[in-house]
Amino acid sequence: MTSPAWSAVVLHPADDVAVALRPLEPGPTSLRSGDAAETFEVRAAIPMGHKFALRDIPVGADVRKYGEVIGIATTAIARGTHVHVQNLRSRRAKTPVAAPPSGVTA
Amino acid sequence: MAHQTSFLGYRRPKGPAATRNHLLVLSIVGLTAPAARRIARSLPGSRLVAAAYGRGQLGGDAITYRRQLVGLGRNSNCGAVLVIGADRTTADAVATAISETGKPVEVVTMDEVHEDALALSDAGVRHGARLMHMLSRQRREAVPVGDLVVGIECGHSDATSGLVANPLAGAVADRLVDAGASAIVGETIEWLGAEHVLARHAAPGVAQAIVDAVMRREAAAAATGMDLLGNNPGQENIRGGLTTIEEKSLGAIAKAGSRTIQSLLALAEPPTKPGLHVMDGPGFSPESLTGFAAAGAQLMMFTTGPGNSFCNALAPTLKISAHPETASRLPEQIDFDASAVLAGIESLDQAADRLFGLLLDVASGSATWGEVLDETDEVLVRLGPSF
Repeated sequence: MTSPAWSAVVLHPADDVAVALRPLEPGPTSLRSGDAAETFEVRAAIPMGHKFALRDIPVGADVRKYGEVIGIATTAIARGTHVHVQNLRSRRAKTPVAAPPSGVTA
Repeated sequence: MAHQTSFLGYRRPKGPAATRNHLLVLSIVGLTAPAARRIARSLPGSRLVAAAYGRGQLGGDAITYRRQLVGLGRNSNCGAVLVIGADRTTADAVATAISETGKPVEVVTMDEVHEDALALSDAGVRHGARLMHMLSRQRREAVPVGDLVVGIECGHSDATSGLVANPLAGAVADRLVDAGASAIVGETIEWLGAEHVLARHAAPGVAQAIVDAVMRREAAAAATGMDLLGNNPGQENIRGGLTTIEEKSLGAIAKAGSRTIQSLLALAEPPTKPGLHVMDGPGFSPESLTGFAAAGAQLMMFTTGPGNSFCNALAPTLKISAHPETASRLPEQIDFDASAVLAGIESLDQAADRLFGLLLDVASGSATWGEVLDETDEVLVRLGPSF
């Protein structure tokens, strides 16, 4: 396995988040967006496959990945920080994302 | 790149050519499953499908169950079928529906041997042996890629599935459709939150059917009192970085590619024209794959993140992973390593050409790991309880 040519990727120009292609530590990281590569300041540890914010996202705002809305920010999310279940909620969820039902797996 | 336009397959009297030439030992009711297992053991190389149910079923459950049994028998990868049943009338009905394809079908039933399972086994082995002997005389020949019906599945997804493996399967689906073949994507629940994206490239009339199918499944889940979204994405998905159902679904539907969706199929319903189709079916991959096989799929593409060993019994199932560690950790499971795309070393297009080539190679007879190890089964869907 050769190491990736970049460490994170933006999947669509309209996206609010990028995806880490390897575990990231806070600091400058190489980010690919379309055919361009840039250096981006990550401000939290991001596990591989997880998302971080490309810009400050206000509470209640739509959050986009793949160019589509994947949910709503439940808190203000700072640029460069981890976007996940602690600050992003499905628009389809009928109940707040809290206690998952017990004993049932997908 | 100019794509290959033919593969080496088995021509059939009617319908598309096949990628395999199985004798299917098909027990249509649980009562004859033990005898069917004995018969299949005596016919090495045959494929066994022994239904666990088949009586005491009503309405949609009975209809869907029968459609799956008949569909598996009609699958072109079965060169001949031995139908095993409890009573002649039911077995004949299944055999007649299968033999419309022009393939040889034999029937043995328990009532005709006065409930003697050993006599049933003897008759079954003799009929089956003659069918296999005949099948061994058939040869592969060049047939058009357009004859292929390919089921596309994902199981045990992580972020690499949505980033690379599923878009890669989608790029191959586009190549197949452009060559006149058919591709089928299922797992209705994995369209939830992304149904508008599928609807955007659906033929007129199909878009609304897709949205309705998702709503029906969402409502059915809600009716059980279960919060569908509380466990989807599941804990493995969440650990892998997927936060919401929309996000998971957007990654999942990438495996459909970009061509026009021609129809929404019911479970095990064969497409009536070539092109891309979606099947309103379960998200559990063993059942989903059986739905595709019963609709005529002779090949499967199956994407995974950390690995998933399960393969379909009738259709060779290619395992595809883009996770940097999975292919090297599971060298006897993963047929196609797409991690070079994730690493930025290979373009998605190059990988899609490579995967398309492997697909036709397998269609022409090269074994998948799942076939070598026989890590295969058919799992038929039940829609209700027995009466």
